[in-house]
Formats: sequence, structure tokens, C-alpha cells
Amino acid sequence: MEYKYIGKDAKRPSAVERITGKAIFVDDIRLPGMLYAKILYPKYAHAKILSIDTSEAEKMPGVVKVVTGKNIKHPFGDCLHDRLPMAVDKVRYIGEPVAAVIADTERHARAALSKIKVEYEPLPVYTDALDAMKKDAVLIHEHSEKYFYVTPLYKPTPGTNIAITYEIKKGDVKKGFKEADVVVEDEFNFHHMSSVAIEPHATIALHHLDGTVEIWTANVGPFAVREQVAEFFGKNISDVRVHIPHIGGCFGYKSDPGIEPLVAYIASFVPGRPVKLRLTRKEDFTSTFIGRGIRARVKVGATKDGKLTALEETLYLSTGAYADTGSNILIVAVQTSGGVYYFPNAHVKGYSVYTNTPPVGALRAYGHPEAEFAIERIMDMLARKLDMSPIELRKKNYITDGKTNVVGEKFKKSDGDLFKCTESVLEAIPPKVEVKEDENYLYGVGYAGLIKAPKAATFASKGCHIKFNVDGTVSLNMAGGDVGQGLWTVARQIAAEALKMPPEKIKVYNEIDTQYSPWEWQTVGSMFTFQGGNAIIRAANKAIDALKRNASLVLKRDPDMLEYDGEYVYDRSYPDVKVAVKDICRGYVTEDGTTIGEVVDVTSYFRLPGVQGPDPETGMGRTGGSYTMGFQGCKVKIDKRTGKVYIDHFATSIDVGKVIFPKGAEAQVLGGVLMGIGETLMEEVRFKENGEIANPDLIRYKLPRIEDLPGKQTVKFIETPDAVGPFGARGLGEHPMIGVAPAILNAIYDAIGYDFKEVPVTQDMVKKVLEEKGLTVKDKEE
Amino acid sequence: MKREIKFTLNGDPVKIEVMPNEKLLDVLRDRLGVKSPKHGCGRGECGACTVLLNGKSIRSCITLAIEVDGQEITTLEGLEKNGMTELQKSFLQHNSFQCGFCAPGMTLTATELLKKNPHPDEEEIREAIAGNLCRCTGYKNIIDAIVDVSKKG
Ligand code: FES
Ligand code: FES
Repeated sequence: MEYKYIGKDAKRPSAVERITGKAIFVDDIRLPGMLYAKILYPKYAHAKILSIDTSEAEKMPGVVKVVTGKNIKHPFGDCLHDRLPMAVDKVRYIGEPVAAVIADTERHARAALSKIKVEYEPLPVYTDALDAMKKDAVLIHEHSEKYFYVTPLYKPTPGTNIAITYEIKKGDVKKGFKEADVVVEDEFNFHHMSSVAIEPHATIALHHLDGTVEIWTANVGPFAVREQVAEFFGKNISDVRVHIPHIGGCFGYKSDPGIEPLVAYIASFVPGRPVKLRLTRKEDFTSTFIGRGIRARVKVGATKDGKLTALEETLYLSTGAYADTGSNILIVAVQTSGGVYYFPNAHVKGYSVYTNTPPVGALRAYGHPEAEFAIERIMDMLARKLDMSPIELRKKNYITDGKTNVVGEKFKKSDGDLFKCTESVLEAIPPKVEVKEDENYLYGVGYAGLIKAPKAATFASKGCHIKFNVDGTVSLNMAGGDVGQGLWTVARQIAAEALKMPPEKIKVYNEIDTQYSPWEWQTVGSMFTFQGGNAIIRAANKAIDALKRNASLVLKRDPDMLEYDGEYVYDRSYPDVKVAVKDICRGYVTEDGTTIGEVVDVTSYFRLPGVQGPDPETGMGRTGGSYTMGFQGCKVKIDKRTGKVYIDHFATSIDVGKVIFPKGAEAQVLGGVLMGIGETLMEEVRFKENGEIANPDLIRYKLPRIEDLPGKQTVKFIETPDAVGPFGARGLGEHPMIGVAPAILNAIYDAIGYDFKEVPVTQDMVKKVLEEKGLTVKDKEE
Repeated sequence: MKREIKFTLNGDPVKIEVMPNEKLLDVLRDRLGVKSPKHGCGRGECGACTVLLNGKSIRSCITLAIEVDGQEITTLEGLEKNGMTELQKSFLQHNSFQCGFCAPGMTLTATELLKKNPHPDEEEIREAIAGNLCRCTGYKNIIDAIVDVSKKG
């Protein structure tokens, strides 16, 4: 099919603002009478609070109020209400707010913090799920039985540190392992990392004197923020208004309510005055959501000709001090444990366990990289045991037309072509390394498949409001946050295609405001193109129908005898019988001035069709709805002297159904792969034994820099049209990160014959292995 | 003790009283309303706050405001007085940025380079912007845009 606007290059709405530094981010906003808050953090990662004395702090210059958690009546949350905006009688992680000072300037607020006196009784600290699960472990939440949960899926296990337990059972694993000729078993660990957007978190909250609340924040879930804040204060949802200006990068940790409930709580002590909290980089590490943190024990069985027979796996998520936001990560990891492979039998169990770290929340593709790291590594190990090529083994077991994943969802042809993805990566990076070693380097190649579904709430929808203007242009309003991924561009292109008009005539919203924006769940799960695109098409069709109804009054033809081309509505058999869209979009003014017809101003919504919650007994069900699959591979070279891993070439091929905005799609892959390289080779939030974070800055927490770029990157898109996606398109944004870690670790094995089972794999770890294996070379002069 | 300093900001004279330990970034953003320099880390680690001091790029988050007394400061607001620069147009062309939070710092750093060396090779470009962090883009489209400009003129 030939498209006019999608799949073509396009101008990005807001690109000029962003490039020229004119885009307004939260910290650029200053409201009249604004006050500033600074937060006091505990000395211990786990302790009872015995007393807080704020009297000295209150006397400090510029101080308006000192706030503690004592006014908090109940916890809040989304799926499991176990969160607190500020500590009440105990602290559960090192970055937990204990008190806040509100002052006229940040400087004054900061100065007063040191005058607050807090007495603690320290408790044992756990940073790893396995420790927190031990029988004699002290409880981090003593009364988890009291927490509200939306469905039994999110029910904690009282008397233990286990928050969520989730289990799936497919077929008969015992039988599956009996049929196996070969069994491989191992353990993997995906350490915690942070989203680290270059814009740290910032929020402004204002409690108006009439009791309504207004919030300005960087978050892609404005409606979730609104609902949770309203619920926390016992207010009407409609009385909380959330504004989202430009967002300086999200990557997950700005998608669930984070610091917003905290700032709203603090601001409630100074009604009528806006209060701004902007986190320092250190606080951004210690006091917002971190990501990953999953251990996996995996066992797979296969016949000697390489057919997978069974998967048995246990996952442990060290979920941090509060489990609400981590619950779905654990669930998704369990549901994704089989990766792109068909297992006739599977038994997978996952635990999310309270620990004394910042809460785990969303981070690009959450649940998927963790689970697929384990399965993609073990596929290589299995191939070795079977003496089979890892590519052959993978291809033999891909989920294809008619096969089911571990939760029993049946795949169709229209879900994508993994074989084509694999071929195009192999074309870029052939599976045999010509020279495995030279004087300075060892070389290797490695591959991994990838798969991801949005994994949203079953009611998750996106809305689109289309308003025709009297000059024939269109205003398009939605609530999807463009954090840089290019969502506004995609929205405009899809609208242009659906409305048959050039993108220049369509103005896309550039700000989200829960007071005006159509409701949407959250801009998460790489599903804006899919859901939002369909909402746009629905709204466009609704608007076109309205235009035709108006035209039918003017042209005296039945509406279904009319055609629309973006500029005119006309009689399909006599195209000269026509009326201009601009003349009928607010009704039609007849010769005598009477106006007939309707105003063309419509809203439509779209949700993933048929997605369901998992069955309470078996954990199975149509929980994904729409999948995007792909394949990644890389060639590494390892410096024999230093152990540094260089990515010579990285190739990604994803079946996106249909590319809407080619430059944007490519940019998502380039950025996603580099972020994947970060989590594979350098990024880790490291905890000391006492729960402190050892590296809360950009020197010790290593972000990928220019020198870490792959020597070459190949990006290929396969386009097998999706049955439901707009113009056949599927989600893409998070996916490029998923296969990076296993592909690199598989390549490292190929180069040095050592199986790393955790990420990140740092230079020192590689160097140590090289030394042990006698693979290093020493400089002559040494 | 507060002290009065005078400096040139984007070509215009500025006179302001500052505390001896006040950072240039805070003075620019919070007191003078110059918003393009961004606060990314406050410790000289990310480059988001980069401004030009007499044409040389500095990190305004670790520069004391009193240090720029009598000097010349340029931010994006100054560069763009006559509309977008060639470099910015090239960024636009190459879809160089995503969220754009790193763009001001990146742009000023690259501007300094191109002024000193109008035709840098790719290695020199990479080196010049190596200290500016970007989480979104994977850098490639930023480098390509600068390479493009370096080939012109
Ligand atoms: S904010 Fe100055 S270098 Fe990061
Ligand atoms: S474009 Fe987002 S940090 Fe560079």
C-alpha cells in the first residue's frame, strides 16, 4: 500500500524549541510567590524513627514551615497501596524523605535541614531479595496484611518480606524434562540501574485556597499522578490538575507518580503558595525509582535435535522499600521468561521482595531485559551442550504462527517475522569470526532475540481530540508525553494520513494538562504508536463522518454517496458537486445566514483489544495483546591488556510492522542500543552493606559516553503489517535495549570462552578472567 | 557578604549583587531568567550547564558568579539573536536531539570548537563534545550534524 505521509521524513513538532533551548522544563517555571523545599534524608537505610525535633530549624532565616510525616493518614499506590510520601515511624531506604523544610529560597531551606534533630533505632539492612527472604529476616513492612490491593495478584505475604508472588504453569514440566535429552541449569543476576535522564526530577505543587490542587511536573503519567494525589488527600479527582511541560528524558522513572505525592504533601502545609522541589543529581539516584534488580534461576530441557521441551525458572526481584511500582515488573518478567521461544511446558515462579533500597520502578522495557537476558544466555549454553549452532537452535524454537508463549498466548503471522530479523542481522554480522585473535585483541560474535508487549493495565487507553478550524486546519490534542522519542511527530503523520491533509495543516499539542487533555492511562510500554495511532484514526474517521453529514445537508446527497479528500467533500459520481471542508467544519452558513449542521470537534479512544488479567489459578492469559519481536547481534573485540570490551559492530533488526517516522525510529534504536551497552558494561547502582548508594553521581555511576559508541551500528526494520496496529505499525521505543546484554555476553564468551552470568560486566571483571585464563599480554616495557 | 559584579551577558551589560559562593548557573537561571543553561548535575559532570566565558566553554554550575566579574558570558540566547545558527539548522536536519535537555550545552561546546577550528575532523569533534552527556540519542546524529557543518564554508 502506498502512503502519502507515513514512512516518509517529517518535521518534528517542537524540534526547534528543543534545539534552541526554548523548551520549557519544570525547573524553568517560576510561579508568583513560589517557595522552595529541601528534604532531610535518614542516616540509616532501615531504622525506627524515635523522635523528630524541628524546633531549631523552624527558627532559621527564611523558613516558612518544617514538615514531617506525622500528618500522613494512610499509604497510597496503584496496584498495592504500600507507599508513603514521607517516612512516618520508620525509614526503609537511605533516600526516604524524613522531613522537609519549606523556605523562601533553596539556600535557606538547605541551611535549616541540618537543624532538624532525628533519633533513630537502626535495624538490619537488606539490599538483596535472597537475604530479605531468609527465615530470621526482620520485616521491612510489619503489617503488609493491612495494605489495600486491587486484585489478589498484588497480595503481599504477611509475616515475610515477600510482597508479590506470581506463578505460571503451562503443560507439564515434569513430563517435559523427562522428554529432554539435555538439561541446562544456571543462575543469572541483573543488577540495579537508574534511568538517569539528564533532567533530574522536579515538581511544583500548589494547594489553592479553595481546596483544589495544581501540579507541574515531568511525568508521562499525568492522569495517574492526578488520581493518586486525589486519593491520598481524599479529594475529587477532578479537583486535581496536573500540567506536564517538556520532559528532559524519561526512560521509565518519570512514568509512575514519583516525587509528586511528596511535593503535594509538603505543599499542603502552605495553602495558597506554590512549592518547588528540584532534586539534585544525588537525590535523583537515591530518592527516585531505580530499575532492574532481578535474579533468575533457570533450567531448560531439550531433545538432542534441539527441540525445547521444558522451562523451569524462579525469579527474585529485589523490589526496594515499597513494592507497588515493582509488582508489574516482576509479573512481566515471569510472563516474558520464555523470550521468543516456544516451550510446550513451563513452570515459572517469581517473588518480589521488600529490600532496603529505593523502590524499583519502570525502566525502559522493564521486566523484559531481565528475563530475556537469562533465557538468551542459557540458549547459548544449551547450544554448546548440544553441539549445535546457537542460531540453529534459536530458529528451531522461535514462536511462530500458531505457537504459544509461556502464558499461552497464541502467535499469528501478523505478529512479525523473526526469521527475517535474524537473517538481516546475520547479513550484517556473520556468525563466524574470521580472525579470533591478534596481537592486541580477542574477537567474538554473539546474538540474542527480543520480544516485548506493552503489558499495560487492561483498561489502558489513549484518546485523541480533533478540532477542525474554520480555515480548514486541524488542532490535534492528546495526552501522550513526548519525552524525545518523537511521539508528536508520529501523531502528526498518522493524523495527516488519516485526514488526507499535509502535516503542516495539523498542529499537534505541545503541553499536557489534565484539565484539557483527553484521558490517557500513561505514556508507557512503547504503545503510543499502536494505541494512540488507532485513537487518531478513529477520531479522524469520526470527524470525516461529521463533515460528510454536514456536506449532505449542503449538497443534498446521502452522506455515504460523498467522498472526502482533505479539502473538499464531494459527490463521488459528480466530483464538481462539492463543498470546501473549511466551509462546513463549524456547520454551514446558508445564504440567508441560517447555520445548519454540526461543529466538527470529536474525541475517540483506543485500547488494546482483548487483553486480560492472568488467570488466578494458572497465571495464564492474553496478557500481552500486541508483541514486537526482533533480533540483535554484535561483534566485540576485547583488549588483552586492559580487558576493555569494544563493540566493533552492533546490529538490530526489529519487525515494527510499519515504520511511521524513519528518522525517529532509527534514533530510538541508536539511543536504545547505547543505553543497553551502558547496562551491560558499566551501569550499576551499587549498594554498600549499610544500604547507602556507593555511586550517586555521574563520575562513579558510569553513563555511556561518545567513546563507548559501537564502531558501527546497523539498523534494519522488517515490515510485516500488524493486524491491529495503525497502518500495520507496532511499538518500538523500548525494544532496542532488550537483546543488548545477552548479545554482548554471548559475544564475550565467543571471544574468551567465559560465561558471565550477571550484568554489568565491567572492564575489571573481564581483565580478571583474562588473567586467570592466561589470555593477557603484558606491555614489553612492563 | 554580597558583592556587586558587572559582566556582559549576550552582549548586554549586567549589574547584580551576588553572594561570594553563588554559582553562575543559579544566577543566570534563577535571578536573570536565562533558562537555556540547564542544571543536570551541579557538579561539573554532565555539561548541561555549559556557557561561553569570553568564547571558552565553561561549566556554569561549578563557576562562581564573582569569577565572571568584568567578563563576557554567552548563552544560547545570545547566539540566536539573529535566528538559528548554521549548526542549529544542521541539528534540526539530522534529528540530532530527542528530549533536548542536553542541547544547549552540546551546542555551545560545538560552537566553541567550530570557532577555533572551522573544519574539524570527526575525531576532533568527538573529542570536543566527549564531556557532554546525552542519555537519549546515542550521540551519532549529534556528531553527524557537526561533521556536516565542518565540511561547509
Ligand atoms: S550541571 Fe553543570 S556539568 Fe552538569
Ligand atoms: S537529547 Fe535528551 S539528553 Fe540529549
